[in-house]
Amino acid sequence: MKLAALIKKEFHRFFRDPRLIVTILLPGIVIFLLYNIIGSFVNTQEKYDYKVYVTGGAEYAGIVKDAIEADGSGSTVELIFASEEEGKAAVQKGEASALLVFSENFTPAAGNSVQIWYGGSEESLSFYTVASAVLQGIAQATTFSVEPHSFEPEENFAKQFIANLLPFLVVTFVFSACMSVTLESVAGEKERGTLATILATSVKRSHIALGKILPLSCVAAIGAASSFLGVVFSLPKLMGADLSVLGGYGFGSYALLFLLILSFVPLIVSAIASVSTLARTVKEASGYTGVIMIAVMVLSIVSLAAASLGDWVIAVPVLNAVLFMGKILGGELPVWQSLLSVGANLIYTALLVWLIAKMLSSERIMFGK
Amino acid sequence: MDLFTGEIVRVENLRKTFTLSRKQQRAEKTSLSRKVAVDGLSFSAYRGEIYGLLGPNGAGKTTTLRILSTLIKPDEGDAFILGHSVRKEPQAVRDCVGFLTSELKLEGFFTPDYLFDFFGAMHGVDKETLAGRKRELFSRFGIDAFSQVKIADLSTGMKQKVSLVISIVHDPDVVIFDEPTNGLDVLTAKVVTDFLGELKRMGKSVLLSTHIFSLVEKLCDRVGILIDGKMAEDGPLDAICGGKSLEERFFEIYRGIKGDVL
Repeated sequence: MKLAALIKKEFHRFFRDPRLIVTILLPGIVIFLLYNIIGSFVNTQEKYDYKVYVTGGAEYAGIVKDAIEADGSGSTVELIFASEEEGKAAVQKGEASALLVFSENFTPAAGNSVQIWYGGSEESLSFYTVASAVLQGIAQATTFSVEPHSFEPEENFAKQFIANLLPFLVVTFVFSACMSVTLESVAGEKERGTLATILATSVKRSHIALGKILPLSCVAAIGAASSFLGVVFSLPKLMGADLSVLGGYGFGSYALLFLLILSFVPLIVSAIASVSTLARTVKEASGYTGVIMIAVMVLSIVSLAAASLGDWVIAVPVLNAVLFMGKILGGELPVWQSLLSVGANLIYTALLVWLIAKMLSSERIMFGK
Repeated sequence: MDLFTGEIVRVENLRKTFTLSRKQQRAEKTSLSRKVAVDGLSFSAYRGEIYGLLGPNGAGKTTTLRILSTLIKPDEGDAFILGHSVRKEPQAVRDCVGFLTSELKLEGFFTPDYLFDFFGAMHGVDKETLAGRKRELFSRFGIDAFSQVKIADLSTGMKQKVSLVISIVHDPDVVIFDEPTNGLDVLTAKVVTDFLGELKRMGKSVLLSTHIFSLVEKLCDRVGILIDGKMAEDGPLDAICGGKSLEERFFEIYRGIKGDVL
C-alpha cells in the first residue's frame, strides 16, 4: 500500500500536469520536425535519370530499378550490363551514376553480397541512398550483405556516420528524458524537506527508493520513446531515403531495440537518482549529473569504434546498449548478447536501488550539512 | 514509561557527535574533526504537555528532535516514546510520533487533500480512518475551503496549516516540531501557535525546539534549556523562571556556563 502510494504520487505529479507531459513529449516532436527540415534541405528529392552499370544479378538489379522508378520522384534507371572494370571506370569518369556488383551466381541468401560503387556527384549519392535502402530492405529478411564502396570516401563517411549516429542519439535523448524527470523528483524532494517528512514515517527505505525508480523510469521511458520515434522516423528523411527503409527491420530487431532501451532507462534513472540523493540541492545534483552525462557520452562514442571488442562489453553499462543497438540497426540480430546486456543493466539498476535505499538510511547523507 | 506520572517521553543520557568536514572546521574555527552535538542529555515530557527545548543555534535542539523522530541514531544513551526505544524499535516510534520541521516546503503541484491522503498512506492509515481524520482535521483547522486548491496557489499561512495537519495525519500521541515558527511572518506564526494550543487541548504531547522566548512563555508547560549540547536547566516553566522573565533567566544561566561572553 505504501509502495503503491509512492508510485501513484510520482505518476500523479507527471500525468496531471500538462506542462510536464509536453516537456516529456516535446523533444521527440522537435527532433522529428527538425530532422525533416534539415533532410529537406540536404536531400531534396530530385528527379534523376540514373545510368547504372551492373555485373551479374540481372533479376535483382531489375527489382532495384523497378523500386526506384516507382518511388514517385519520376526518376528513371537505365541498366547497363558490363564487366566490373568497365563499370568502375564509367563511375569514376562520371559517365555512370553507380555500379552494382552482384556476387557470382547471386541469390538473396547468406554468404552472397552486393557491392554498390558510387561517386561524389549528387546523382550518384542519391542513387546509392535509394538503392541501398531497397537492397537493405531485401537483405534484412534474407541476410545477404550489402557493401557500399565510394570513390569519394569523405562523402561516404558522412553518410555512414549519420547511420552510425542513431544509437548515440538514442542514448543522448534517453539521458535527457531521465534527467528531466529525476533531478527534481529526488533532489527537489530532499531540498524541500518532504523527503525527511517521508523518512519520519514508517515506510521502508527500499520502498521509497523503488517508489521513485519505478514510476520515474516509466515516465522517462515515454520521453525516451518519443525521442526514439522522432529519430527513427526522421533519420531516413535526413539520409535522403524514405520510410520504407524502416520496414527492413524485423519484429525481432525492434523488440531487441526496445528491450535494450527499456533496460537502459531505469539504469540511467537510478544513476541520476543516486547522485540526486547524495546531493543537498537540485543545483548540486545537476552538477553531479553532468559528470554522469560526460561518462555516458564518452562510452557512447567509444562504442562507435568498439565493434571489434570482445563479449566482455556486455558487462559494461551504456557501452553494451549502444553497441548492440548499433549492430541491430546495422542488420545483425545479436539476440543473446542483447538479452545478456539487458540482464546486466537490470542487475546494475537493482544495485543502484539498493544503494539509494542505503543512502536514504544514512543520516550523514540525508541530514549532513 | 510511568503510567502514573503520565511520562510519555523519556530521554536517557543521549550523546551524539558529528564528523566535521574541513569546510565546517573552518566555519566553526576549530581544528577538531568531531563535534559533540548532544552530550549526555536526559529529560522527560508528560502527557498533554508542551515541552520546549530552548537554546541558541548549535545547542543541539534539532539533533535531539531528529533522534526522537528516529531520523538519526544516538551514539550513546537511548530515548523512549510511549515505552518504545528509538534505537531498537524505530518503526514503533514512527507510528506514534508526528514530525514537522520549519524547513518543510510542500510541493506546489499537489492539493492539501491529495497530500493528506498520501502521508496517511505513508503512515499505513486505512482509507476509512483516513477519511474520518480528514473530515475532522480539515474542519477543525479550516482547511475545507481550500482542500482542492494546489499548494502553489495557497498563502503561506494556509500552506503552514496543511503542513501541520499532515504531521498529525496518523493521530500520533507525540508531536515533534523543530523550530515551528522559524522564518514565519506574524500572521503565519499565529496560525502555528494556535495550532499547538489546539493540539494540547486535544490531549497530545508536544515537543518543540525554539530560540524564541515568547513562544515558550506563551505555550510551554515545561522547558529544557540546552547550551552546547548539555541540559543546563530542565523543569516546569515557573520553576525555571522563579519570578523572572524567561529571557532574563536564560541569560543568567548562559553567563553561568559560558562566562560573560555576550
